[in-house]
Amino acid sequence: MAAAGHDDGVVTVGRSRIGTIFANTGGILFALVMIFPVYWVLNTALKPRDEVMSFKPYFIPAHPTLDNFTSAIKAENFLSGLVNGLAITAMAVTAALVIGFLAALAIARFNFYGRRAIIMIILCVQLVPLLALLIPLFLMLQGWHLTNSLVGVALVYLVLLLPYTVWTLRGFIAGIPKELDEAAMIDGCTRAQVFWRIILPLTGPGLVATAVYGFIQAWNEFIIINTLNSPDKQNLMAWLLQNQTERGTAWGPLMAGAIITSLPVVIFFLSIQRNIATGLTAGAVKG
Amino acid sequence: MRHGKYPFIIGFLVVPLALYLVFVVGAYLQMFQLSFTDWSGFGGYHYIGFDNFGKLWDDPVFWIALRHNVYILIAMPIVTIAIALFFAFLLNVGGKSKGGVTQGVWGSKVYRIIFFFPQLLALAIVAVIFGRVFGSDRSGMLNGLFPDSWSPWLFLADERWALVCIAVVLIWQQIGFYVVLFSAGMGSISQDIYEAAALDGATKVTLFFRITLPLLWDTLQVAWVYLGIAAFDLFALVNIMSVNKGGPNNATQVLSYQIYLNAFQNSQAGYASAIGVVLFFLTLTFAALTLRVTRRDAVA
Repeated sequence: MAAAGHDDGVVTVGRSRIGTIFANTGGILFALVMIFPVYWVLNTALKPRDEVMSFKPYFIPAHPTLDNFTSAIKAENFLSGLVNGLAITAMAVTAALVIGFLAALAIARFNFYGRRAIIMIILCVQLVPLLALLIPLFLMLQGWHLTNSLVGVALVYLVLLLPYTVWTLRGFIAGIPKELDEAAMIDGCTRAQVFWRIILPLTGPGLVATAVYGFIQAWNEFIIINTLNSPDKQNLMAWLLQNQTERGTAWGPLMAGAIITSLPVVIFFLSIQRNIATGLTAGAVKG
Repeated sequence: MRHGKYPFIIGFLVVPLALYLVFVVGAYLQMFQLSFTDWSGFGGYHYIGFDNFGKLWDDPVFWIALRHNVYILIAMPIVTIAIALFFAFLLNVGGKSKGGVTQGVWGSKVYRIIFFFPQLLALAIVAVIFGRVFGSDRSGMLNGLFPDSWSPWLFLADERWALVCIAVVLIWQQIGFYVVLFSAGMGSISQDIYEAAALDGATKVTLFFRITLPLLWDTLQVAWVYLGIAAFDLFALVNIMSVNKGGPNNATQVLSYQIYLNAFQNSQAGYASAIGVVLFFLTLTFAALTLRVTRRDAVA
């Protein structure tokens, strides 16, 4: 067909050029729709107040300013929110990785009685509508004096992160040929040495992807922390929502706040963009 | 090899299973227990049998909320999967084929990042952003784009459109995950099959319906279950975006938000737990039904 003319090695499929143009236009238009709100956030955050509230849309700020960012950072509970969020996320993700990795190892490498049941349990936890558990979780943590505490929230996040962690890491470990373990053991390695020298290094990329995904989940959570903790013990997401209701129409600082709170996640994502896409979907595809 | 594996297994699994027993099973048991009480959220309570469930049956707001959940359960997965499939196909096999290998359209790496981006943003942030997009006066993003002669659209403040707005936001946020998920699935389909079909003169449309779709069925099933669960949740968006607590006039009321309102605002924790029990069974039934109905023999 038409497009095949200029290149010998090409097998052109279907309606060729018109189809390609159609596909490209569709792709670009849809990408614009997807990205436009994000652009608008940046735009709003850089505008002074009178331009934000103006009825005439400014697609580029006429007088760009960083005032919105400084006023967001100076707002009450911003710093504590940042520190709390980092602490909770670090605790939950580290614990989830250690516990989840060992569990994944057991499920991926050993055949034992009850293995299928455990896999079913892992999958079922992901179905749980979180909000239905909010009341009992609150009562439970209250009983242990863990409400209004960073550890209590981290514990709940750990439980939420575990199923995904185990499931994804299971996929990565199952991808390492068992023959490698056996060869090492014939050469005299103990089980522990097989773990440290073979399985752990080879699961490295999987661990990174899982850690980043866990980070995103824990960092972005706000319903649980909002229910369990008072404002000075909350994270930046809860802080953002607090600001939204308190300030009403102060959109500039609010958008600046939104940018600051999502910055860690975006940086993480862009730095290991390839890995996380595979990591995120590994569990679902190999399931 | 056989000896000494159980200590390993037990050691590795005891912590996650204990956590699961306490925090998930324990929490559910407590929720079931509370659903049979008149507990307000503070102090003591009495067991009142099935009274909460009777009250639920007669509560018009409960039925409105349930109806909204069902609407979204039907519409949202269909729209999301259709769009995501289209773009995943475009990104993977939409372009020219070089040396027999079909490629994605030009710039597909950039698209992938753009589509995935909203997935990174917290629902809290997404909701705040779209509060601005759907702003009901001229300073709102969409209203600002319309010509001056139009009267501003109310979006979230309009009873007829509020729920649609929330569904749109949810789709916007989730679509990237499914584009990536389907892309991964399509990547595992052998190029030989496409090549053979293309040599036989198959068009892109034929390739999509005869090869991609059947071979992607398992992934679609997973996607449907995930999306369905998201449709039962919806709490975050409704909580932040809805006008007047699930309004206007209950137009955005959903079950999860009813739980929250009853437990933490109306001091009816027992009643809220009863809604939680209903939501639990609805979600489980949905997941089981989806997996059963869509199950079929493996395609060659």
